[in-house]
Amino acid sequence: MTDHQPIFRLEGVTKSYGQVKALRDVTLRVAGNEYISLLGPSGSGKSTLLRVIAGFEAPDSGQVFFEGRDITHVPAHERGIGFVFQNFALFPHLTVFDNVAFGLRNGKAPEPADLDKRVRDIIALVGLSGMEGRGVHQISGGQKQRVALARTLVMAPRLVLLDEPLGALDANLRHRMRNELRAIREKLGVTFLHVTGSETEALAMGDRVVVLDHGRIAQFGKPDEVYGRPASPNVAHFLNRYNIFSGALEGSTFTGPFGAIGVSGGTPSDKPAYAIRYDRMTVEPAGAPVAGPAIPATFVASEYLGSSVIYFFEAADGQVIEVEHHLSLGAPQSYEPKAQYLLRWRPEDAIVFGPGVN
Amino acid sequence: MSDTALPAASVSSGNSKSAWLIVPGMIWMLLFLVAPILLILYVSFWTQTTFKIEPTLTLQSWKAFFGSDTYLASLWTTIRIWLLVLAATFIVGYPTALFVGLFVKNKTLSTVLLVICVIPFWTSFLIRVLAWRPMLGKEGAINIILQKFGITSQPIEALLFTELSVVIGMTQIYVVFMVGPIAFMLGRIDPNIIEAARDLGAGFGRIFWKIIFPLSLPGVIVGAIFVSVMVLGEFATAAALSGRKVNLLGNIIVTQVGSLKWAMASVAGVILTIVMGLVIAGFLRIVDLKREL
Repeated sequence: MTDHQPIFRLEGVTKSYGQVKALRDVTLRVAGNEYISLLGPSGSGKSTLLRVIAGFEAPDSGQVFFEGRDITHVPAHERGIGFVFQNFALFPHLTVFDNVAFGLRNGKAPEPADLDKRVRDIIALVGLSGMEGRGVHQISGGQKQRVALARTLVMAPRLVLLDEPLGALDANLRHRMRNELRAIREKLGVTFLHVTGSETEALAMGDRVVVLDHGRIAQFGKPDEVYGRPASPNVAHFLNRYNIFSGALEGSTFTGPFGAIGVSGGTPSDKPAYAIRYDRMTVEPAGAPVAGPAIPATFVASEYLGSSVIYFFEAADGQVIEVEHHLSLGAPQSYEPKAQYLLRWRPEDAIVFGPGVN
Repeated sequence: MSDTALPAASVSSGNSKSAWLIVPGMIWMLLFLVAPILLILYVSFWTQTTFKIEPTLTLQSWKAFFGSDTYLASLWTTIRIWLLVLAATFIVGYPTALFVGLFVKNKTLSTVLLVICVIPFWTSFLIRVLAWRPMLGKEGAINIILQKFGITSQPIEALLFTELSVVIGMTQIYVVFMVGPIAFMLGRIDPNIIEAARDLGAGFGRIFWKIIFPLSLPGVIVGAIFVSVMVLGEFATAAALSGRKVNLLGNIIVTQVGSLKWAMASVAGVILTIVMGLVIAGFLRIVDLKREL
């Protein structure tokens, strides 16, 4: 984050597959030496965006710049951008060493001693020393992931694109690889662009997070900004941490399933919505005297998460409302299934979206 | 490793019962494959006189086989034709398989193309072989066309009733057995692997020789085994297209059986079986099929 000269930049990139618009006028500037996570649900165009930057797909319009050079029409292997595939795409008939050495042996190969050193160094960097001679079918999923990374990193790219790199790993390993990926990136000082459909992964890994929604960049910011101030109801929805109520916004009054509430300010958006984070709602007995906004709801079930408990409620219109209770704030409550409760929140914790607000 | 140990353990625990499943197959194979092969081996040592055969053990037929230029020549012809057809089916079949299995991205289309390759196989074997006569003959289709366009002034007689016609005919008949397994292996290559190789700077040649060809090798081996087994045991194509000039071991067996020379036919049969066994064993050494398939 020290280097704010953009390492790559997209200007108005558009890409369609037949009638489907995968990318709509995407403009993005990413600084060097940064970990960027690209969050989006499936079908948001995140893989397409990655493939356009890598050079596997050509955009219909717009330009891609890399280190100040227009690379829109430069073939993939001449871009100096590394790509790590979701399923690793290792060469199944080659050893770990030969997989990693493959790229160096293309074109003008370095001296054998130099090649050997570079390959061994990068294998050591990803923590696989001693496994050089193994076939890639003899190693575990996490090790395959490291080989895939080493195979890309040995080419000394300035930008590495990772397509859901942790998707094929089990939960335990996924967690460990998160730290590893960040540590490896910091050692090398290159920029990682990491595509993921998991909001926790995106927030945990990215120095900055790009949120993609229907082929458009919905938000680009630091994880806490994205988490605390989602730029649109859809972004709030992807974060999986907000109860989002639809309704109508007139002047400074939002009318939703909880009645009319006075609001001040908000986030501009095409459609009005009212969002409250799961952990900013409080459960009260039905009929309790509350000052401020509240909504009656029926208790359905709870989910124990270790450090917190999520309570599921159902509002009169059938909408599921989730309330998260951090156990550091007190012991979990037990609520009566199918009984009525009142969920309240402080008006300043709500995020109001609507046309014409600011 | 631990997840493969589990099913293995459950199979071995049900071993005593599940072993019965292979009993019918075993009996069938013992009665109609193993026993006849052993019998052929046995008969090859019987004493053959002009009109009868006696179960008195002798090396007479074996000596006769290896002492006769005709028989030895047929062994070499068999091996030569086999190698030629194997090379021809590979040269014709591999590019076809490459197109069908790798370059046709649409799975349905690639299946349709494979079926088209198999369609000629649905016609009778005899018709397929004999149909080559009006094609290759002195006044056949190929010669007529060549002369019509003024490419040749005289008909090429070498086309029919030569070794060449046998190789042409066999290649046409058996090439599909080469295309199928190779196309299958090529179709299983993850497109991301090829994209990864390209992204790492490999050109088409290197991608082919370092990635695609090694990954298709098990298909080549399976195809080669199919073609070899069928060509080595062939007699009909040689009989129909060579005008009896090309005598394969298969043709020797047919003539010997025809003249009731069971002992000599058995010798040729045993030698043919040994050759096939060596060929298959040789191919299996190249690739560990158990691992690849």
